Amino acid sequence: MKRSKKTALVLMVPVATLLLAGCGEESQQALVFSDPSECSAAGLNDTAQCNAEFAAAKALHPQVAPKYLDKTECETDFGAGNCETAPQQTTSGGSVFMPMMMGYMMGQMMNRGGSNFQQPAAASAGAASKVPTQPLYKSRDDRGTFRTATNKPVAGGIGPITLKPSQVKPQVGQVVRRGGFGQQAAARNSFGG
Amino acid sequence: MKRISVAERANWRAYAEEVGFHFHTFDGEPYWDETAYYQFNLHQIENDLEAPTEELHQMTMDMVGDITRSEEMLTLLNIPRDFWSYIWNSWNKGEPHLYGRMDLVYNGLGPAKLLELNYDTPTSLFETGFFQWVWLEDQIKNGVLPEHADQFNSLHDKIEAAFTQLNLPQPFYFSSVRESVEDKGTVDYLMDIAAQAGVDVRYIALEDIGVITDAQGSEQFVDLDDQAIKGLFKLYPWEHMVQEDFAKAITVANTQMIEPAWKMLLSNKGILPLLWQRYPNHPNLLPAFFETASSEPLAAGWVRKPLFSREGANVDLITANGEKISAAGPYADGRYIRQAFQALPKFRDEHRNADTYAMLGSWVVGDSAAGICIREDASLITKDSSRFLPHIILD
Repeated sequence: MKRSKKTALVLMVPVATLLLAGCGEESQQALVFSDPSECSAAGLNDTAQCNAEFAAAKALHPQVAPKYLDKTECETDFGAGNCETAPQQTTSGGSVFMPMMMGYMMGQMMNRGGSNFQQPAAASAGAASKVPTQPLYKSRDDRGTFRTATNKPVAGGIGPITLKPSQVKPQVGQVVRRGGFGQQAAARNSFGG
Repeated sequence: MKRISVAERANWRAYAEEVGFHFHTFDGEPYWDETAYYQFNLHQIENDLEAPTEELHQMTMDMVGDITRSEEMLTLLNIPRDFWSYIWNSWNKGEPHLYGRMDLVYNGLGPAKLLELNYDTPTSLFETGFFQWVWLEDQIKNGVLPEHADQFNSLHDKIEAAFTQLNLPQPFYFSSVRESVEDKGTVDYLMDIAAQAGVDVRYIALEDIGVITDAQGSEQFVDLDDQAIKGLFKLYPWEHMVQEDFAKAITVANTQMIEPAWKMLLSNKGILPLLWQRYPNHPNLLPAFFETASSEPLAAGWVRKPLFSREGANVDLITANGEKISAAGPYADGRYIRQAFQALPKFRDEHRNADTYAMLGSWVVGDSAAGICIREDASLITKDSSRFLPHIILD
């Protein structure tokens, strides 16, 4: 036989379903605060832990914060006066801007079992939550909401929250350029041959 | 080799839509055409098409290393100097290739002649590997064709095997320009087969690909979530990619490309004169030369093609009888080659009561011949609007 033994389609036909990564993941608890003093006052973590996690988030901030080549563009997204110069520079030596850190999220927490903070089964044995500690930001048009560096809203205020750790995995934020391929697409409408 | 008229399957259009073959009709004109099929015997397939395809492929592959080391040949092929070492590396690291298609003139008698190599961005893959295969199975089931009718078409099996063996970075991305339904159809089919072979497949429109520059100044391709693209199938010509804003990023980003950069040397019409120079009078080659400033005006019996062009665009030819035929297109900005004119075989289309010319595409997966497809046109130049007809093998 000179032809294929079988042909089959799994993606192109509507009946096919795909399992998406992360579906089976369990939610975990985390804490959100504007600063370490709020964290200490809440009494859910001790002061030393509040300070240590804040320092970790602060250190991550310049790495993960969204970056802009233009300060005005940054302020359009985060509000006037809410952007600062990032430590990075462009390859040609130009300045890079990023929003200021407005809060932090921590996964590490004490097992207090407080009335307002139900520990999940795994964490109640004293295990650390898997939510990665990271800085949070607030956008210009939604001042009440804490967002991750990748613009995922995580909390409407301070205190405990639940979420899936994979959704808030910090990524090292860099200047992204797009549209550098396909520039001849307008002139020629198909590229196969 | 015969052209035989046959009744269309009753519901093929609805079926085509169901399996995502949305470009079966283009601008109201048929693209998939099953009002007829071509019939070959096994000797024609194995001796005249399969074996010469593998031989031509091997001859071509044998030239790649020499071209990567030759400033003269790289210049003749119009390869930007900035990419010479990148291409040399991609060949010497043995970056794998997936597939290609060579276009042949064949009339059932005598040796098939190579018109050109589509070794970078070949399409009409789904029509060949899937839709024409299903057509044959249906027509056997319907009693229209005999049980022992076969087809030269192992494309689906061979591509699936290739994806199993390639050991690609995961996830592996597939990309095409956003506006092209046809290109997206080809990419969808490849992604489907790759998924069946266990590859973690992702699609990204070519225009959405990003480049990040880290604090050290090194560049990397990323998807819309800024995740690194470690492996990319791009249905977009290398000759365009090397001219665009992200060209420099290609040479520093650590992304495995399919087709690899060395395929740039083979999807170029300049390979045709280089092949003729290396293998003069080979029975499957047509005489071909680079056009120079001192070349004579195009004479009868010759074809003029741009180095980079697709789907017959910007091709001029003068038949042996002096008839001039030209196809318009957007590729009139580069260099040209001249190739001896070999007429496509003419058949009678009874359904349309008109003459029609047939061109044969012969697929290569990895280094194996993997089947054929046939394109028909009312003109001697096969174009993107040319109809696709199925074929069978019957002795």
